Amino acid sequence: MKLRNLTLVKLMLTGLLLTGLIVPAFAASEAEIAKAEQAMSAKDYTTAITVLEAALQSDPDNIRAGSDYRQAIMRKSMAAHPKEGAPADFDRCVAFFEKLVAANPKASVAYLNYGFCSVDKIPAAGSITQVLLANAALGQFSKSIELKPSWIALYTRGNSYLYWPVIFGKAGLGVADLERAYGMQKSEPTRVYHQRLYISLGDGYWKTDNIDKARAIWKEGLSKFPDSKQIKARLDRKDDDLKSYIDDQLDPGKRVDTDLHEIWEAK
Amino acid sequence: MKFSTFGSRFALAAVAAPLAIWGWAEATATIKFTEIAAKAGIQTTHHTRVFPGKHADVLRMFTSGGSSAAAGDYDGDGLDDLFVTDSDNGKPNHLFHNNGNMTFTEVTDKAGVAGGNDPKSIVADALWLDYDNDGKEDLLIGRFGTPILYHNEGAGKFKDVTAGSGFTRFGNTIASVAFDYDNDGLVDVMLGNYFKPQNLIELPDPHVLPNDLDNAINGGGVTLWHNDGKGKFSDVTDKAGFGKLTGWTLDLGHGDFDNDGDQDMYIACDYGTDQIFFNNGNGTFTDTTEKSIGFDTRKGMNAEVTDYDNDGFLDVYVTNITDEYMKECNMLWHNNHDGTFTDISKETNTCATLWGWAAKFGDFDNDGWPDLYVVNGLRSAGKENYIPVLLNNLLLKPGMDFSDVRNWPDIGGMTWSGYQKKKMFRNLAGQTFKEISGEAGTDNEMDGRGLSLADFDHDGKLDIFQVNADQKALFYKGVTTGGGNWAQFKLTGTKSNRNAIGARITVKAAGLTQMREVDGGNGYAGQSSKTVHLGIGAATKFDSVEIRWPSGLVEKINGAALGKINKITEGKGLQTK
Repeated sequence: MKLRNLTLVKLMLTGLLLTGLIVPAFAASEAEIAKAEQAMSAKDYTTAITVLEAALQSDPDNIRAGSDYRQAIMRKSMAAHPKEGAPADFDRCVAFFEKLVAANPKASVAYLNYGFCSVDKIPAAGSITQVLLANAALGQFSKSIELKPSWIALYTRGNSYLYWPVIFGKAGLGVADLERAYGMQKSEPTRVYHQRLYISLGDGYWKTDNIDKARAIWKEGLSKFPDSKQIKARLDRKDDDLKSYIDDQLDPGKRVDTDLHEIWEAK
Repeated sequence: MKFSTFGSRFALAAVAAPLAIWGWAEATATIKFTEIAAKAGIQTTHHTRVFPGKHADVLRMFTSGGSSAAAGDYDGDGLDDLFVTDSDNGKPNHLFHNNGNMTFTEVTDKAGVAGGNDPKSIVADALWLDYDNDGKEDLLIGRFGTPILYHNEGAGKFKDVTAGSGFTRFGNTIASVAFDYDNDGLVDVMLGNYFKPQNLIELPDPHVLPNDLDNAINGGGVTLWHNDGKGKFSDVTDKAGFGKLTGWTLDLGHGDFDNDGDQDMYIACDYGTDQIFFNNGNGTFTDTTEKSIGFDTRKGMNAEVTDYDNDGFLDVYVTNITDEYMKECNMLWHNNHDGTFTDISKETNTCATLWGWAAKFGDFDNDGWPDLYVVNGLRSAGKENYIPVLLNNLLLKPGMDFSDVRNWPDIGGMTWSGYQKKKMFRNLAGQTFKEISGEAGTDNEMDGRGLSLADFDHDGKLDIFQVNADQKALFYKGVTTGGGNWAQFKLTGTKSNRNAIGARITVKAAGLTQMREVDGGNGYAGQSSKTVHLGIGAATKFDSVEIRWPSGLVEKINGAALGKINKITEGKGLQTK
């Protein structure tokens, strides 16, 4: 019995490692991250940023430290500029990760967070700068995939493509990434963040005029996440109503939730 | 500068307004227009400037905004005439005399106002103004070049007086307004300049395009010209506080935003933030942009001013670009009564009008609430779309200098934000707007630019003249049925400038108070009539009419009649003849 359980755990861990969701070693200490999260709770974003920068220097691929760091940057900016933050505030994040990946060229998660810095800046930027940032983010996500084609990296890049207007023809690329991520998640136990992929893949199918496939994947998602309001909202809508809803969800001017806490909370 | 302290709000006044009037109009009026440009004899075709050289297409595209129109009664017969610009080399502008029966006669050659499009200059705007207070409308032509000032000599003839006018400074002017910023009884002029002051045809330096597409600081800014009353204008840009502006100005909207008796200024800029300046009352202005509206990164195309919700404070409507690939949203700046404005375009359904150009308020159903017409569309051409080409060949190429015309891909026969349906919005009691362009008959797909509104036939229904880039103009005769009662007011200043620009009329009827100001060319590439048109719904009389003249005189007017033009002279009240 014990042996069987151990084997199961090993198999699960191997699966998680393969999909890139577990970073093998947490060089950044739990204490540092805890300290930073405590500072963030107290709205002391400056301390949190400093602590997390140090943590990431020693452990650039720490997904939790990277995500927290970006959250701290964003919350600090939003506190000072309530609407969407100020563009310049996000430059610290971009500059930090630019240096971090230069010093750690194999750090796939760092590249992911580097891309997310640009995504976080988008709502604060002008309409043309948004395009430049979105494109820069795609470049970083691609580098992350090149280093390690993890579920999160493929999902992220695939989802990012969907925010581009149809006229730019990127939705098909998004579907390809999302289908690869879908293949990965099918071979692992269901996790809470998997519902995001069902939503996005359906949106991708919808955006490439495969409405039947869109509804099928949303239905499959709903069977696994029966309480998912976002999937239900899509399945409850048709035609122009659905278009209006998805267009609104994929409005590049709206802030995208790039907090990755679901990843480690699901472990 | 004096800010009122009434406090911030935007819905309460509208709620307090008499909904019965709105309810009546909603139930009975159908806003409708019929297009009669050819029949009226004013179906002009605009031609954008064809540039020489390798990058001709790009420059042509960037200068395609110069299709404009101005309504003004140049011969004093009581009917608004029309001046329409063209832009290509050697192409004449057009002056059309209003025959009073919705037909017009071209009188350009007799008047001597055809010129302006020469090998080094491009006509881009026109403005009627009586700069010498002689009772005859003079004409200012804005150009990518130096302006032209025509003095109205009477008998349908004009004289080019530019040489002695002081308008000798080169500018790439796209917008112009006449307003008396110092209330000295003479209209002054502000010019809005798009490119920096460099000749685009000779192109000595190819770095003439915006250095940043969201925060450009290499545009032409504005210039302010003070009228000395002797036929000469002096450049007071620096002295007045506008000298540091380097935005890509596309439009100017003036009005007394803080109800202190002097004219303030909204400056709409492409590729970067709009700006707002409050008049200090001493010949200078204060830039209150950060506090009043905040900085933006949008593509401001239009600045139209009116009190759309009848709360006694002027609001501003700005078009931006909201298309498949760019979601900026327009701005309906609601005046908070404290020197600040809140953008409520999303809340009022006036946010998305595609690639916006001119927008004008006008009470098309005479219900007492200003409706809104917005034109749009950049370039309607072949099936291929320029946007992906622009994206891949310029925007996403690392290290590209956007300001260098040589870096922009040729547009050739491609379409860019073309074939866009125009938007007409019915004002629902100052609370929101309903899009009605289809049923109103104004949902054309031309590449719109300027608008000029006037009641050209005095039938109590506003008409619309729409000019387009590289296309024929449209003339919409107002044929709304079931609309409300109306009255018009033609104001003549005596101590104030004769055009009465900046004069404020406040009328009360059936419990609804409306305030409008005479403007000197607000709204992109189009000057509307200086005769104030007011609908009053089911009301059958005015409870009160009051004029606040730029001189400061406040005059109560008795006997104003419905269904006609009320002529009022400053200090002398209603003129019966």
